[in-house]
Amino acid sequence: MTVREIVKRFTFIEIFQGMSLTLRRLFSHAVTIQYPKERRHIAPGFRGQHALAKNQAGQAKCVGCGLCATICPSQCIHISRAKGQVDKYEIDILRCIYCGFCVEACPYGAIVLTENYEYSDYKKENIYMKKDRLLSNWDKYMPGKKGEEYFKKFWRPMSDDFGTPTGQAVWRGKKQ
Amino acid sequence: MIQKEAEKIFETRELNVNMGPQHPATHGVLRLVLDIDGETIVKVTPYVGYLHRGIEKLGESLSYFQALPLTDRMDYVSAMSNNIGYCVAVEKLFGIEVPERAKFIRTIVGEMSRISNHLLWLATHALDIGAMTVFLYCFREREWILDLFEMICGARLTVTYPRVGGVRNDVPQEFLESLWKFTDEFPSRILEYETLIDQNRIWLQRTVGIGVISAEEAVSWGMTGPTLRGSGVPYDIRKHMPYDAYDKVDFEVPIGTAGDTYDRYRCRMLEMRQSNNIIRQCIGKLPPGPVMAEDPKFTLPPKDKMMMITHPTKEVAYFIEEKACKGCGMCMRACPAKAISGEKKKPHKIDQAFCLQCATCFAACKFKSMKIIPGGKGLSEEKLAELAAGPMPEEIAKAAEHLVRQFEFIKKGPKAPEGELYVATEVPKGELGFYFVSDGSGKPFRMRLRAPSFIHAGCLPRLCVGHLVADVIAAIGTIDIVLGECDR
Ligand code: SF4
Ligand code: SF4
Ligand code: SF4
Ligand code: SF4
Repeated sequence: MTVREIVKRFTFIEIFQGMSLTLRRLFSHAVTIQYPKERRHIAPGFRGQHALAKNQAGQAKCVGCGLCATICPSQCIHISRAKGQVDKYEIDILRCIYCGFCVEACPYGAIVLTENYEYSDYKKENIYMKKDRLLSNWDKYMPGKKGEEYFKKFWRPMSDDFGTPTGQAVWRGKKQ
Repeated sequence: MIQKEAEKIFETRELNVNMGPQHPATHGVLRLVLDIDGETIVKVTPYVGYLHRGIEKLGESLSYFQALPLTDRMDYVSAMSNNIGYCVAVEKLFGIEVPERAKFIRTIVGEMSRISNHLLWLATHALDIGAMTVFLYCFREREWILDLFEMICGARLTVTYPRVGGVRNDVPQEFLESLWKFTDEFPSRILEYETLIDQNRIWLQRTVGIGVISAEEAVSWGMTGPTLRGSGVPYDIRKHMPYDAYDKVDFEVPIGTAGDTYDRYRCRMLEMRQSNNIIRQCIGKLPPGPVMAEDPKFTLPPKDKMMMITHPTKEVAYFIEEKACKGCGMCMRACPAKAISGEKKKPHKIDQAFCLQCATCFAACKFKSMKIIPGGKGLSEEKLAELAAGPMPEEIAKAAEHLVRQFEFIKKGPKAPEGELYVATEVPKGELGFYFVSDGSGKPFRMRLRAPSFIHAGCLPRLCVGHLVADVIAAIGTIDIVLGECDR
C-alpha cells in the first residue's frame, strides 16, 4: 500500500469530494418542474392525441379512403362509409402506439397528431375517439395557422426530403 | 470436533429462493431462482418470457414498412438504435442506398441513444448498488437528450424516427445548436458522476472483482457490446463492419482488463465520452443533401406531388370512360364506399352520389380507363363524360402516378427480393442482429432477432455463482439487460 492510498483510506477524501459536489448542487437552481402547476414546453410535431383536419370551409378533409386504417400497425382505426359520406371514423386510442404512420399514409392531409397528452378518464368510452371528438380536437389544438404549419413540417415525405432544400440545417461553427 | 457437533445441531441445507419477477432490481420482469448456501450463491436459474409479446411473429404479419414501430418496443431504453438496426437490415435486403446526410443524422441519433442508454444504465446500476445520488444526476442529462428527440420526431421514448431509406424528416437548426451545447457540457457532467462514485470505497467494494469473466469465456458465452469489451476483447461492429457513417468518424473502442463489474462500468463511462466525440464530429461534417432515398422500391412518394389531386380545393371527380373499361371489376371490389356497380365484361359505372372521391378505384384500375376530373365534383354525368374525353392534363397524370404508388405501397407493402440475410448493428447493449427470410412477398417469411439482452441474461449463472446474494444485483446491473428486448 502506497502512502497515497493510506492517506486516501484514512481521510475519506473521495467521500468528501462527492459530498461537496452534492452540497454545491444544493445551491444551483432546480431542474425538475412541479408538473400539474408547471408544464414543460412541448415541441411542435408532438405525437399525442389525434385530430381530424378541417378545410377552410370547416368540413372534414377525410375522404374515407382507409389508407390510415391499412397502415396502422395496431389496427386501431375503424372507418365506415354511407351514401357519399364518412359516417364513422373511430380511433381506439388505448391501442394506438403513436407511431404517426397514419399521418404519413394519408394522401389527403386529413389526420394529425396533436400535442395533447393529458386525457386520462374513468370511463373507457370517453377515450374511444369518435369522429366529432376528433374534429373538435382540430379546433382545440390546431387553431389558426398552426395546422398548416404542422403539415408543412411533419407531413412527410415531401419533395424537399429527396433533394437539397434551401436553408437546410448545417453546422455553422461555434458562435462567438 | 466442535464444528462437527455444531453441524449436527444446526443442520444446514441449501435454500431455494425466488427473486423476481417483481423485484425492483431485475430491470423488468426477470425471475431468478437462486439456490443459496448461507449467503453464497450455489446455483442461479433465470426464467424469462414474462414480457413476451411475440414481436418476431408479429413482424411476419406486418409489411416491412409497418414493422418498424415494433422495434421501438424491444429495447425501449435505446429505441433509436433498434430502429436503425432494423432499417439497416431492411435496406440491405432491398438494396437501397441511403443518402449521405441521412447516414450522418442516423449516426448522430444513434450515438445520442447510446448516451441515453448508458445514462439510464448507470443511474439504475448505481441505485441498485446503493449510490442514490447518481440516479438523479444521470436523469438530468438524459432528459436533455429526450427533449432533443422530441424536437426532431415528436416522441421522446418510442421514436420511430429513422425510416428505411433515410430518416423521417430533416433536423432543424435549433437541434444542432442545442446538441452542440450538450456535447460541450457533457464531459464535465461525466466527471460529476465519476466524482460521486468512481473512487468511492463502497462502490469499489461492490464492483471490483465481482462477476469476473475472462476474455475467452466471455466470447464463448456469446457476450457482445461493453459487457464483452470489459473483458478486454476489442470487438465493436461499428469498427469492424461499419454501417451508416461510422467509417467516416474517428473513435476508439474502450476496453477493460480484468473483466469484472468495475471494468465494465469503466468501459461504459469511456464509451459515453467516445459517443460524445462522434456526435461532435458528425455535426461538424453533416453534409447538405436529401434525407430520404428516392427509391420507388421502398419510399413513399412525396406528398406535395399528389396535391394536384388531393388538395381539398380541387374537388375532383372520378369517372370511368365507357369505351376504355374492360369490365374487370377490380375497381368495384376496391371501392370502400361500394359506389361502383357493373356486370362482368361490361363497362362499370360510378354512382357519383355515393362516391367519396378517395381515389382507391383509380389506383386499382390496371387498364387506365379511369379519369380524374378536377373541379368535377357535383357535375352531371353528361358533363363529366364530356370532360373525360381526351387525355388527362399532364400535371394531373403525374400527380396520379404518385397517388397510385402511395396506394399500392400502403395496401400491398413493398415487395422484397427473395433470399435471406443477417445484419448486425451495434446497439448500446451489444450486437443486435436481424435475420430475415424473404419469400418475395411484402412480408418477411421469418423474422428473427438476436437480442443481446437475452444472451446476457443467459450468462447470469456464470457471473453469480460463488458470490454473495447481494452481488446478484450487481451482476444483473453489469450486463445491462432490458427485459423488453430479452423476451421480445
Ligand atoms: S388516410 Fe386520410 S383520407 Fe384516408 S381515411 Fe385515413 S384520414 Fe381519411
Ligand atoms: S399513430 Fe400509429 S397506431 Fe396510432 S392510429 Fe396512427 S397509425 Fe395507428
Ligand atoms: S378496374 Fe378499370 S377496367 Fe376494370 S372495371 Fe374498373 S374501370 Fe373498368
Ligand atoms: S373514388 Fe373512392 S368512393 Fe369513389 S368510386 Fe372510386 S373508390 Fe369508390
